[in-house]
Amino acid sequence: MVINMNFEYSEKDENFRKEVKDWLDETLPKSLSEKVKKYQRLTKEDYEIFMNNLTAKGWLAWHWPREYGGTGWNAIEKHIFEEEIIKASAPRIVPFGVNMLGPVLIEFGTEEQKNYYLPRILSNEDWWAQGYSEPGAGSDLASLKTTAVDKGDHYLVNGQKTWTTLGHHADKIFCLVKTDLNAKPQLGISFLLIDMDTPGVEVKPIITLDGEHEVNEVWFTNVKVPKKNIVGKENEGWTYAKYLLTFERTGIAGVPYSKSALNHLKMISKRSLKNGKPLIEDPIFSSEIAELEIDLLAMEIFNLRTVSAAAEGKAPGMESSLLKIKGTLVRQKTTELLRKALGPQALPYLPEQFDEGWNEMPVGPSYAGPIAKQYFNMRKISIYGGSNEIQKNIVAKASFGL
Amino acid sequence: MDFTLSEERKMLQETVGKFFNSNYKNIDKRSENVNLPEGYSKEFWKESSDLGVISALVSPKFGGLGGSGEDISIIFELIGKSLCVEPFLSSAVLSSTVLSSISNPRNDLITEIIEGNLLISFAHCEMNNRYEDHYIETNAYLKNDEWNINGTKSFVMNGDDASKIIVSARINGDVNDRDGIGLFLVDNDQTLKRPYNTIDGYRSTELTFRDLKGELLAKDENALKCIIKANSAGALALSAEALGIMQICFDLTLDYLKTRKQFGKSIGAFQSIQHRMVDMMLEIEQVKSAVMLASSTFEIDDLTRDKNISAAKNLVGRVGKLIAEETIQLHGGIAMTWEYSAAHYAKRLIMIDHLMGDSDYHRDRFKLLSNF
Repeated sequence: MVINMNFEYSEKDENFRKEVKDWLDETLPKSLSEKVKKYQRLTKEDYEIFMNNLTAKGWLAWHWPREYGGTGWNAIEKHIFEEEIIKASAPRIVPFGVNMLGPVLIEFGTEEQKNYYLPRILSNEDWWAQGYSEPGAGSDLASLKTTAVDKGDHYLVNGQKTWTTLGHHADKIFCLVKTDLNAKPQLGISFLLIDMDTPGVEVKPIITLDGEHEVNEVWFTNVKVPKKNIVGKENEGWTYAKYLLTFERTGIAGVPYSKSALNHLKMISKRSLKNGKPLIEDPIFSSEIAELEIDLLAMEIFNLRTVSAAAEGKAPGMESSLLKIKGTLVRQKTTELLRKALGPQALPYLPEQFDEGWNEMPVGPSYAGPIAKQYFNMRKISIYGGSNEIQKNIVAKASFGL
Repeated sequence: MDFTLSEERKMLQETVGKFFNSNYKNIDKRSENVNLPEGYSKEFWKESSDLGVISALVSPKFGGLGGSGEDISIIFELIGKSLCVEPFLSSAVLSSTVLSSISNPRNDLITEIIEGNLLISFAHCEMNNRYEDHYIETNAYLKNDEWNINGTKSFVMNGDDASKIIVSARINGDVNDRDGIGLFLVDNDQTLKRPYNTIDGYRSTELTFRDLKGELLAKDENALKCIIKANSAGALALSAEALGIMQICFDLTLDYLKTRKQFGKSIGAFQSIQHRMVDMMLEIEQVKSAVMLASSTFEIDDLTRDKNISAAKNLVGRVGKLIAEETIQLHGGIAMTWEYSAAHYAKRLIMIDHLMGDSDYHRDRFKLLSNF
């Protein structure tokens, strides 16, 4: 049994944290972090401003090995970096190129692919999208139906992808496609890189329940894709897809998001009134906050245990799934209590307040506007990236021997 | 004991159900109504009046043809099933309850509401009032025999289109006193309005009064009694509405589980999913039972009425969250989209817990009324 556990960060880690924090203070435009804080709609340029700053600093590819232009950070440093960018209300790093495709190319790509695509990812020249889910292939991703037929020098691609996040900004998309229609589901899949401006590619917006446009359908009609755009071997794409899905999931619990939501919740509960007194003085409501904080406290240590194991080279297995489940539930609970704390103030919904430069008087306190919308929007996190049900299947299958 | 509806009420349920269905065929049709300048369809409202839907919410003593707890529940369960946005709650339940509960009931105004000619909104909520019946900052003072009202009312349903407003205001005492409250009738053309839509698609308004002249309808004990009764009637109506929504959510989800295939079979074939559907079914039966109890005791003494309504509304808040969240989760991404109706039902179900007292408020009131 370990008796000398140390929950403190080392001095080196703390120095690193300060370096990240100072850099963010210096380079992140105030107007941009304000937009993020107010949940305002971010433009393509907003994402790019932050990502270009990261590129200039050499921090964009924080998951990559040094030889490819990455940081070479260990898991604890990556964790600290992620925590600080969320704390600073920076826009999120669009993950599809740098966090998803990059590692796959580094592991499985040809030299030509690495030499061409990796620098373009590092310089933000290409905006990538992810072409995984289809209308008929969600949890059961292997049942996908988009086909790529071998036509000699090219593949002819037909089908439809869906839930393509920020696909309307994308220049390129990496897709899972069927190259062998007769093989068992997981065996006939290939990993293909497609230019969005190829004739036959069409992006259609999906409007979500909060009235926003973030995800899309991407349609492929007789799209010609050069043969050299396949990653790895034909019909072995499933291996690469799984590699991508399990790659670096230490941030999956979203601890820093929940921490900042918890602070926000406490602030609002001090300002909201119940019978004329601050809501936080209500013993039942404050107990709910306390229990949420306890869950979060435990989860943070759970997360750090996994991070620290990863730093020693142990690949996280089922911990990723467990952290995803708990992380999404805790984060959703924060949005629920925030909504509850507002009472009737959660009702008004002014879509125009999420536009840049909106400076009218809000209805009610200014913090109230995004809360209900956030609650509904955050229902997605227990659905995407492998729903919580799928995560439970993974854990049960991997660890019970049943 | 008899838990079945009378023949008359079955007919009412059937007629009104058909009428709502034909006018609220799908979510696009609803969005059309939401996007009208008034936030609802005046045409549909008038037709509702012609068909007797508004009248079914008012007692024969005041010119209506219904108005019992059961009538309110029947109509609002149907409103929930169609996600209808017309001013049934604001004008036909809240305002008509006040107008019929004051010492000198205003049958003249109630008749006009029933006929669909007059919209009256009840302005009681305020930014700092968290569902309470008596926490009121808006004030009224008497000058030259005229009442003047000052203050801002929040979350006034259909407060932009209503011609008249019933306002609760403090005549004397502290903001949180139970005594010293007055209810006033004011013309809405002199108020300052800030209309907006709520996240679930209903029209609400901030109304500001500056030395606005008002007619006193009730004061002190009678005024508070009217506010409590109106809020209770509203909570009952919303509980029944939520029940209707829950049933639709359940049906949509079950349909989807049968048709959506993953891993070579319908996702409903998985036992873990079936168990979750059973949990939902069970809780909906609980809500149905609580709403029936609250409806049947609506005309009994105030204490029984309020206690049972609080029980129903508390349960609706708790179960509503379960049903809304499970409906989305069991569907997956599709229920996150605007074009699929389940998202809109889920939104309304959640936001019902932000109107006329949430589950915490009604749990506290239940404890109070039960002498815990």
